[in-house]
Amino acid sequence: MLPLSVSERGLGGEVCPNADGERSEYWRPAAGETSPPNPLHNPFAERTDYFPEDRRRVSYALQTLWHEKTRYAAGVGAVAFSAVLMVLQVGLLLGLFETTSIPVDHTSADIWVGSQDVRSVDLGVPIGVNLHMARLTGKSGLVGQPELYLANYANLTRPNGGMERCFILGSGLDPDAAGAADVLTPELKSALTMPDSIVIDESDLNRTGLTGLGDRIKINGVEVTLVGTVRGMKSLAAPWVMCSLTTARKILATYLQPDQTTYLLVRAESPQRAKEIVNELNAEYPEMQAHTADDFSFSCRWYWLTRTKAGIAIGYAALLGLLVGAVITAQTLYSATMASAREFATLLALGIPRKKIYGLVMEQSFWVGAAGIVVAWPVVYLLSLGAAAGGAKVVLRWEVLAGAAVLTILTALGSGLFALRSVRSIQPMSLLR
Amino acid sequence: MSRSFGDGALKRFALRDVTVDLFPGQLALLMGPSGSGKSTLLAVLSGLLPPDSGQVFAEDQGRTVDVWAMTDPEREQFRLRHTGFIFQGYNLFPALTALQQLEIVLKWGAGLDNAEARSRAEDMLKRLGLDQQKSKKPAQLSGGEKQRVAIGRALVKDPTFIFADEPTSALDWENGKVVLELLRAAAHSRQASIFVVSHDDRMKEYADVIYHLNEGRLEVEHNPAAPAPIHLPVEGFS
Ligand SMILES: Nc1ncnc2c1ncn2[C@@H]1O[C@H](COP(=O)(O)OP(=O)(O)OP(=O)(O)O)[C@@H](O)[C@H]1O
Ligand SMILES: [Mg+2]
Repeated sequence: MLPLSVSERGLGGEVCPNADGERSEYWRPAAGETSPPNPLHNPFAERTDYFPEDRRRVSYALQTLWHEKTRYAAGVGAVAFSAVLMVLQVGLLLGLFETTSIPVDHTSADIWVGSQDVRSVDLGVPIGVNLHMARLTGKSGLVGQPELYLANYANLTRPNGGMERCFILGSGLDPDAAGAADVLTPELKSALTMPDSIVIDESDLNRTGLTGLGDRIKINGVEVTLVGTVRGMKSLAAPWVMCSLTTARKILATYLQPDQTTYLLVRAESPQRAKEIVNELNAEYPEMQAHTADDFSFSCRWYWLTRTKAGIAIGYAALLGLLVGAVITAQTLYSATMASAREFATLLALGIPRKKIYGLVMEQSFWVGAAGIVVAWPVVYLLSLGAAAGGAKVVLRWEVLAGAAVLTILTALGSGLFALRSVRSIQPMSLLR
Repeated sequence: MSRSFGDGALKRFALRDVTVDLFPGQLALLMGPSGSGKSTLLAVLSGLLPPDSGQVFAEDQGRTVDVWAMTDPEREQFRLRHTGFIFQGYNLFPALTALQQLEIVLKWGAGLDNAEARSRAEDMLKRLGLDQQKSKKPAQLSGGEKQRVAIGRALVKDPTFIFADEPTSALDWENGKVVLELLRAAAHSRQASIFVVSHDDRMKEYADVIYHLNEGRLEVEHNPAAPAPIHLPVEGFS
């Protein structure tokens, strides 16, 4: 008897007479095989790299998920639930905080240029007009001349005494001025050209102590006259006060030097070009900040959302949603893995490294997360339509959707890590009883 | 080899000083009453359960290695290269086709690429008469077919040793016979050592060697072609 050695064995395909001289009919040669040159030679015999990373293994995890749809449905549902919760909460608050970006949303400029790192429209500090104007006019693709936009908080003295903070919005008033709020009718614009005249939203009448047209009031010590009211410029913290550049400069005289402005506004020939110009400006001049109107609008809302307690509140609620999703997903993956424990144990007995099975479970958890996102999207969409019908606006920004998607996948992967405990406990010995 | 379970007063020997020789090209049958230690012996021999005392030697390419002196990763590699298992249940993944059950071993174990794993797995299924069944999932296969897929999974990496614990217990005798013929053909044509645990007397005619285990003690009942064991000096496993 020869010592047992791999290289000397194995005429795999041969039809072999058994002890009684019969031929086994279940061990047949492959078609067209005459004298087999060891067709099943041991693939392990010459290899030294036993566990090279294999290339395509996606299918096993996905296939299992699909085969046991009902089992994994709970995990997918939980993940989808937490994603929906997150997106809707943020969306609702962004809707609520829309008032913070009203000056941006109601003007027709495509590009806003302001001071360094300005994140919300009420936070701009004075910048030099000439320097920044020169930087802007050097760009191609702009439509019309850049306009000044003077904005800052001011103190309003109510007729019956008492102070109120308001926010001055001083803009050009030409018929096609980019900075003039779109709620201003041509009549209101021409009324505003009179020195020391202002327009406010009708919902702010009470707050400012004004009662009707022609009422006079002091802002930063300058006596101004109310020449009209508008709708659609509701405020949260400080009433928006619209006026001409001249009036604004007078009110904000101690704050703005004559050669300074808070913002420069300009239109671009296309939204695409606006983005390009903004990127170029920000790259070239780090000491100022250019925004497209869209981005600036979102930036204002996001700033107030995260700065106020509301941000913390939704943070907690989202965390809770994620936790619920994570626990259910982990439970689903755990029990699914335990259900396949005997199959995994067989592979382990055959010498297949445990990390391959870890990989499979992690891949499954990734796909549970991905499926959860796919399920969540239409639900978010329908619920936001429902909310809109009920008068609550849900803002679905791609940044929020992408952030929620990433968090959801991370939650699913975290649950997968938790479920790995079950893989660790699988022993091939359990198959031998 | 010896192996016990439990401590102190509860200590009970499942194997008492047992010696077994397995040879290439032979199908060895291990019989014995329930609880006599058959599965324990199989586990110790196959590198799944450490013995209390004693050694398990394997001759690997002309060198003798001590299976229980290896580190865990070494033993895992040894099993990967040299051992195939067939267990009582079929233990097939419900979601995978017959072909994939085999491919997964080649891809995850040997790191073969898709094409090579597929052709090897197809080849093996053909030899097992499962050509028509290769894209069926376990739920669509009969018991006998499932056990043949499980055998294919054990054989596809061309192991030196094949361990089978009650491989036919879930099958009727007709299907059981098929399984045994397959295993014996594998032993003879591929010079593998097959170790089958069973308590079915009808299997005896398929065995080259028959061992009886009783209360942890081993007797050789019938050994027609008893070759003299060769013991080479023990070396490290690398
Ligand atoms: N993990 C364990 N812990 C404690 N005792 C064990 C363990 N595994 C086996 N035993 C005991 O060792 C003895 C031998 O068990 P083993 O599983 O080897 O028997 P067997 O011959 O395979 O029986 P069967 O034919 O029923 O499968 C039994 O008495 C069993 O109770
Ligand atoms: Mg047993």
